[in-house]
Amino acid sequence: MADEPVKASNDRPVYRDPPNWILQHPKYLDFMRLDVSDIAQVHAAFLVYMDLTEVRQWECVSSFACPNIGAVLLQGHRKEGEAAQVVLPLPAHRTLSHREVRCVLDRGAPMLLCAVASDSTLVYQRFSSGLVTPDPPVDIQDQGRRQQRKRRIPP
Amino acid sequence: MSDGVTHIHLTGDSESVDQVDDGDCVTSTVDVAYISDENPLLAGISMCGSTPLLWRVADLKMARQAGVIGSLVGSLSRQPRQNTRLGRPLELLDEEARLLAEDGKVMVLPIRDEEKEEDYSERVEHYRQDLEQRHKVQSSLALQDKKGVLQRVMTDTQNEGSVRERLEALDRDFSLPVSAMTVQLCTARAGLGYHSDERDFLSASWPVQQDEQSQTRFLVYRDLRRRGFCLTSAGKFGGDYLVYPGDPLCFHAHFIALCVAMNTTTPLCDILAMARLGSNVKKTVVLCSPCATREKLNKEEEEKEEREVKKQEDEVVYTSLQWSGMI
Repeated sequence: MADEPVKASNDRPVYRDPPNWILQHPKYLDFMRLDVSDIAQVHAAFLVYMDLTEVRQWECVSSFACPNIGAVLLQGHRKEGEAAQVVLPLPAHRTLSHREVRCVLDRGAPMLLCAVASDSTLVYQRFSSGLVTPDPPVDIQDQGRRQQRKRRIPP
Repeated sequence: MSDGVTHIHLTGDSESVDQVDDGDCVTSTVDVAYISDENPLLAGISMCGSTPLLWRVADLKMARQAGVIGSLVGSLSRQPRQNTRLGRPLELLDEEARLLAEDGKVMVLPIRDEEKEEDYSERVEHYRQDLEQRHKVQSSLALQDKKGVLQRVMTDTQNEGSVRERLEALDRDFSLPVSAMTVQLCTARAGLGYHSDERDFLSASWPVQQDEQSQTRFLVYRDLRRRGFCLTSAGKFGGDYLVYPGDPLCFHAHFIALCVAMNTTTPLCDILAMARLGSNVKKTVVLCSPCATREKLNKEEEEKEEREVKKQEDEVVYTSLQWSGMI
């Protein structure tokens, strides 16, 4: 349902609502210039960029290429003053190896993987180096013999 | 603790029954006897097909002390028809058996099939004679018992005549039916402690699986053991190991370990599914990969310009996945 092109004075068509706004977005063009062969990944990176900057209001989000993985990575700060974090955007159909994860983790900054589904749903997953002990459960209560009582067969 | 906790009551060599404590507390667990250096006995692993099993109580104690947990899969002689509390044998993971063998604590026992036919029938004959002997002894004891009862009755009642008749009938016709005989089963077997000197001509060939995944799992298992963790199988959670900071009877597991080679690719949805599961059960999912080509720098002291020699070592790399729904 594109609008009819309106001829401008220099005869080039100007669409009132450009349908391919992503492809023409300056940031997207920046990403393309990083020379990553996987277009789907670049598209995913752009969606994540928009989410980080517009929705989550991250500060100073920059992009760079990681040739080992063949991907565009993003780096930014969740809040001003917080340490920088690296985000690896990937289309959901892609596979990932431990080596690729270490490639990103070994840069030193905390890492987030973002899986981008075909409907543009974003799922973030944090990766940390080493063995990170989980948080203890909040509400532990000794059930005593209650569990055993529950299992008795009713007469 | 989860439902699958087994209560192990470890006693000495004369143990015949696993007594089960019905109370809330767990019976003796990690408090095993200290095996001194003067005791060079090795534990014997019996192979059932490709599955390593430990049968003797002393062997189970040794394994537990070495931090190898295993899993009890046998039936308790006095509580047979239930699955909540199981007894010996202790089934070991391939990695557990291999680590114990590497540390020189166990050896594989040769398969019993090599016993000759004559030896076997001799053992059967010996056992039969033993049973007959016991039957005779028990028979005479039972007869004495019955006579004693009748004699007591005789002195009490006035019916002496008929009682005396019954006594005489007993003497003639009494026989203890075989089905009423008490049979003692000895659960301790002598002669299974193998001195290390006998190791050479007794050990069977070790059935080591050589594929890459087994090797990966073993390297991860060994490294985590060296860091002091106890590991059990994590089939319930779709992982390779459950990692406990100490004995499983004292702690909840902290991690679900997934052993993957560095270059193995996994679909993203699988990674996310495992991470989600981990967060639901309050355990961290950890990707573990042996990194054989990791290089360590060593310095030679000879020359003034230190020459750096690169050394290759087997190291395991760990990456934790924590759920980050809100970032």
